[in-house]
Amino acid sequence: MKKTRSGNYIVGCIIAIFFVAGNAWSAQDEKTTPGFAWKDGAEIYAKICAYCHDVQVGPPIRNRELPAAYIRAVVRNGRFAMPAFRAAEIDDESLTKLAEFISRRSTQP
Amino acid sequence: MTRKYIALPQGVSEKDFDAAINNFRKVLSDDAVLTSAEQLAPYIKTMMPVPDADHTPSAALLATTVEQIQKIVAICNQYKVPIWMISTGKNLGYGSAAPAERGQVVLDLKRMNRILEVDKDLAFALVEPGVTYQQLYDYIKEHKLGLWLSMPAPSAIAGPVGNTLDRGVGYTPYGEHFLFACGMEVVLANGEVLRTGMGSMPNSNTWQVFKWGYGPYLDGIFTQSNYGIVTKFGFWLMPEPPAFKPFVIQYQHEEDIVEIVETIRPLRISGVIPNAVVIAHALYEAPVKAKRSDYVSGPGSIPDEAVYRIMKDHKLGIWNVYAALYGTQEQIDVNWKIVTQAFGQSGKAKILTEQEAAEDPAFVYRAKLMRGEMTLTEFSLYNWRGGGGSMWFAPVSQARGSETLKQMALTKQILAKYGLDYSGEFIVGMRDMHHIVDVLYDKTDPEQTKAAYQCFDELLTEFSARGYGTYRVNTAFMDKVAETYGPVQRKVHKTLKKALDPNGILAPGKSGIR
Ligand SMILES: Cc1cc2nc3c(=O)[nH]c(=O)nc-3n(C[C@H](O)[C@H](O)[C@H](O)COP(=O)(O)OP(=O)(O)OC[C@H]3O[C@@H](n4cnc5c(N)ncnc54)[C@H](O)[C@@H]3O)c2cc1C
Ligand code: HEC
Repeated sequence: MKKTRSGNYIVGCIIAIFFVAGNAWSAQDEKTTPGFAWKDGAEIYAKICAYCHDVQVGPPIRNRELPAAYIRAVVRNGRFAMPAFRAAEIDDESLTKLAEFISRRSTQP
Repeated sequence: MTRKYIALPQGVSEKDFDAAINNFRKVLSDDAVLTSAEQLAPYIKTMMPVPDADHTPSAALLATTVEQIQKIVAICNQYKVPIWMISTGKNLGYGSAAPAERGQVVLDLKRMNRILEVDKDLAFALVEPGVTYQQLYDYIKEHKLGLWLSMPAPSAIAGPVGNTLDRGVGYTPYGEHFLFACGMEVVLANGEVLRTGMGSMPNSNTWQVFKWGYGPYLDGIFTQSNYGIVTKFGFWLMPEPPAFKPFVIQYQHEEDIVEIVETIRPLRISGVIPNAVVIAHALYEAPVKAKRSDYVSGPGSIPDEAVYRIMKDHKLGIWNVYAALYGTQEQIDVNWKIVTQAFGQSGKAKILTEQEAAEDPAFVYRAKLMRGEMTLTEFSLYNWRGGGGSMWFAPVSQARGSETLKQMALTKQILAKYGLDYSGEFIVGMRDMHHIVDVLYDKTDPEQTKAAYQCFDELLTEFSARGYGTYRVNTAFMDKVAETYGPVQRKVHKTLKKALDPNGILAPGKSGIR
């Protein structure tokens, strides 16, 4: 009898420790910053597209007044050397901003 | 009848799949459960020479928390729906973001992208799966942490979790990435959450500083595997050195690879050259500077004569050895003397530093990779043939000159048989070399696509027949490679799979494990 009770007690302790541990983990997680989000089209261009399109891996795409819908389609489907980009990487709203940024004729070279 | 889904998991009825999707929608918001052709388009493009239909997913789930993932695996167990895990999903040339088998649901963790901790003093990071190298790079810069990343050539768009879980490599002294991994959090198929190593102990603060923990070391079984879903990942970062000296050494003859390897091995093993050196063939570097169509037209692989013209026109060696020294200026000066003496002996080597090569686009991107700076210049490779077809052929070789020459010759011979070029490099590990060949072909050309498939198959067959194993492979050839490692390993892998994931819901087919 006694033996079983202390056995149960040990199991209880283990479960308690498990939950405490679980709480300790989530507390640590809560302290940290929220997930990443893009600021604007220019940022996405600089941190993804420019690495290819500004160094002749891909053709120049800025200042060509490419239709926004076309840009969005190329980004989502990829094209030969260009990988496709998922909504998980560039969400739909950010992609719209990016396409506007690229197709807009800017005064800068 | 119009179909509701663009594909279904093997052996799952539309009715059951419907029920599973409805349940996923209760766990995730509606816009995080993707099922339409338009939403799934970015998961379908691969560079492999097989029909896209073979790897079309049925859905994609964009989970952001451990709790969501626990609920997802419960639903998968209930309906026997298989999921394919990706972190940043840029496994380009190895299967991209597409699942191993048609109909698998992609569990896309890109949005689970918090940098949980970067410790300046102990030089480690703890991140979620969706963190990219670019994100971490910016974070380190912003917080002035003085730490360097080691990353693969797709740097900016890839991430440390996916890359290391597939046992990828980079180019700094921390280039063999899994060596520098320290502690994982893994959601198991039964929904339990395991923290490996010291992370298993409540309130421990040594999870990211001591790898081994107590008892059998488990981290390895979650790499190139389908035994769990990694949701947190710790790894060590390199303190920024006071000085950095990248250089390239060029050689003019293919046979010189013997001398190169014999010279480098002792320097690498003793640590004089600390980083993952690359010995790149002219055809690996040429696309950064030259167009194939300016040198050859018509079918067949590029003749040696044209390669020599490219070398001359674009100041390339047939072999281009990229390496770097790191440390204080004094340390670098001493080691530079050792390096130049070693390579100077035969009189065949041409040694160039930033002074001579600062304008050379190949040197520039290689130097960036060796100091953990973002670049995607290596994607020029896909402009060589055009048409977007590519598979990495990646056999492991001893770091011994005679062996590298043998592997190079055999690869070149088989590629030529199928009219393909040798775009190869050797990445020098501690005692091994990852022989990396980009099997480039035009995926819009059905004949060339077929040839590429057969060529890759023959490469695997011939190499394994000689005892040369492949370190990693695209999702169309995983079973074939698993077979080359023999029945006992396969059986052990299967035994572990049965124990950890009896319903086979996690990435069936990964590394040939089901
Ligand atoms: C031009 C070019 C150059 C390249 N150079 C290199 C190079 O230098 N070195 C190199 O290593 N690779 C290289 N690659 C291949 C590849 O692009 C990189 O390895 C890239 O880092 C992998 O993509 P990722 O980091 O987004 O990982 P992901 O695609 O997210 O993951 C890779 C795999 O790991 C597994 N996995 C991912 N996340 C999880 C998880 N949370 N739980 C369990 N399993 C998971 C899955 O099997 C997945 O398919 C190159 C590709 C190209 C096109
Ligand atoms: C890894 C390199 C790479 C990256 C990163 C990249 N691209 Fe591209 N892109 C290319 C290449 C190469 C082409 C040309 C493809 C072809 O052969 O038609 C291209 C083509 C395009 C085109 C069609 C251009 C035309 O002339 O019709 C658009 C639009 C485009 N990219 C947009 C983008 C955007 C927007 C981004 C950033 C989200 C981006 N690309 C990121 C390599 C890249």
